[in-house]
Amino acid sequence: MQELQELAKKLLSEGRVQVVIGYEAGAHGVRPAFVTDAADCGRLIFDPRCVHNLAVYLSPRRSPVKRLGKPAVVVKGCDAKAVAGLLRESQIKRDDVVLIGVRCSGVLADPRSGATLTGETVADKCILCDLHEPTLVDHLVGELRPPLPDMPRVSRRDLMLERISAMSPAERWAFWQAEFSRCTRCYACRQTCPLCFCEQCVADKSQPQWLETSPHPRGNLAWHVIRAMHLAGRCVDCGECERACPAEIPLGLLYRKVAQIVEARFKHRPTEDPEVPSPIGKYSLDDEQEFIL
Amino acid sequence: MSETYLTTSNLLGLAGDLLTAGTQVIAPAQDAEPLVGPPQSGPRVAYRVIRKPEEMALEAGMPANSLKEFFLPSTEPLLKWRYQKNDVELKEVETTFQPRVVLGARPCDSAALEILDRVMGWDYRDELWFGRREATTVVNLACPGEDDLCFCTTVGSGPDSVRGADMLLVPSGDGYFVEVLTPKGEALVTAHRERFSQVEKGRAEAEQFRKEAKAKVDRNLNASPERIAGWLAGHFEHPFWDKLALQCHGCGACAAVCPTCHCFDIVDEPEGVLGGTRRRNWDTCQTSKFTVHASGHNPRTNQNVRFRQRIMHKFFIYPERFEQVLCTGCGRCARVCPGGMDLLDVLAELEELAGTEATPSKGAA
Repeated sequence: MQELQELAKKLLSEGRVQVVIGYEAGAHGVRPAFVTDAADCGRLIFDPRCVHNLAVYLSPRRSPVKRLGKPAVVVKGCDAKAVAGLLRESQIKRDDVVLIGVRCSGVLADPRSGATLTGETVADKCILCDLHEPTLVDHLVGELRPPLPDMPRVSRRDLMLERISAMSPAERWAFWQAEFSRCTRCYACRQTCPLCFCEQCVADKSQPQWLETSPHPRGNLAWHVIRAMHLAGRCVDCGECERACPAEIPLGLLYRKVAQIVEARFKHRPTEDPEVPSPIGKYSLDDEQEFIL
Repeated sequence: MSETYLTTSNLLGLAGDLLTAGTQVIAPAQDAEPLVGPPQSGPRVAYRVIRKPEEMALEAGMPANSLKEFFLPSTEPLLKWRYQKNDVELKEVETTFQPRVVLGARPCDSAALEILDRVMGWDYRDELWFGRREATTVVNLACPGEDDLCFCTTVGSGPDSVRGADMLLVPSGDGYFVEVLTPKGEALVTAHRERFSQVEKGRAEAEQFRKEAKAKVDRNLNASPERIAGWLAGHFEHPFWDKLALQCHGCGACAAVCPTCHCFDIVDEPEGVLGGTRRRNWDTCQTSKFTVHASGHNPRTNQNVRFRQRIMHKFFIYPERFEQVLCTGCGRCARVCPGGMDLLDVLAELEELAGTEATPSKGAA
């Protein structure tokens, strides 16, 4: 913690950045913090409640954050993959941000939780984590704690996907209809997604109108399927959409399923290497084409 | 009006009687099991239409949704149109509804109904809102105080508030001390007389429950809506707003779970070539699209001013016009916010500002 605070202080006082985007403990749990004064760096923390993916604040559409000046941002491994996504898709330049990597052995699902980190309380994304020490960073702080002894071998999401795969098409249809029926189109899934950076979302377009804005079964199905397609090969599985959804729709299942298909077909898995293009961003003669009629 | 007692088993029986008679019953209920969340987060509790009395989960915690959607659905048709040769046929929707009963409403949710009656009956009478209001009997269940994000006592309600309710149940012994508050409440008791005790009992235990709940909620926030409204009146521009919403994502999660947020959008959706449906859908001032003009100009340029609007509407504009704060202190917005925006913090800071700064005269904005 002290290492992080000292580093932030140095970056701010030397004028190398104008804001450090990190985490602080509020009255009701951990929340994102924007520290602009070197004297305030004592606010910064990193502990298992720091589940938020702060890469979202680097998006060019965040004008109030942009106005603060050049940022340094605290990133876990999963967050670094999202930063790589922004670099890969030319949304930010590497020199325009300082990345403070934190070694992370897993975070809690709920930033307001006071629970101890165990295999029971750990966020689902951490069960699949293959990046405890981000490398796409300018600084790396903190210590890696030993792996959780009771960390589940298979993520709850993958177990659920197996159950869904075993369903008949009619059962699967009924399952998703029931889940989507709670969607009110608040777009928390989109707004918290670091890779949903479009200035004009397809869902907000009215001329022409590509999908209905009403949260009825037709409109909701269209929205969630379109979003899943737009994230194919791009979603870094940070889980923020699912955490943000006030209707508790298991959105991660959709994106995980699509990611599995992309990985099987294109041997691609989003990494923190911005030089590796996503399947949607490249053409290869070896691409499978049997689906072309 | 009157007081009586209802045992837990008779409450289940009452729900059964209503369902048998074909009355729709809305109550907090639990989903079967959590699908993907950490196991300890438990099943989702939400108000929904129940089919069996056993589905009721009155003590499983605060429902994730508010009661709002049963009076102002997230989407509903207003009319249907169909081209007929040289004419257009319009078909309006029904504005009368079958009777229904809400069992186990949280006081912060029933209060919102009373608050929203004011705007829904203001410049025109919203027939769909009042049609559903009139068809619905609301039975409140006094709340023990959910957690440290409850602040109903700060905004003119309380864990045993009867605002917007026809009847109040207060846990007491093996059942509930019952206050019958309105003619609709009386009608419910009269129609199911055998379910209610003939003798009044359980008052002392109920009093204790109410006292403890109030004390618990009182600890969470110390602020005065009147003082805050006074400060807001003169501080449309202030450095406080400039960094207020840096972490806000500009989504509508807070508005979706808010019992009092009621803005809606009206859309025409074609269905086939010759007809379509006009619908109204929930909307929220927190999205950038909310105020985009046809010209492309957007007067609310960033998230800070959008969040200012949220605060202004709830704590200055609405009270100015309708003498009620547009907030019931349920705390849901702070519970769901993925960016950690915390209304209790914002109100505490406003209270501090209001206490330290002289308030300019109204209209300075």
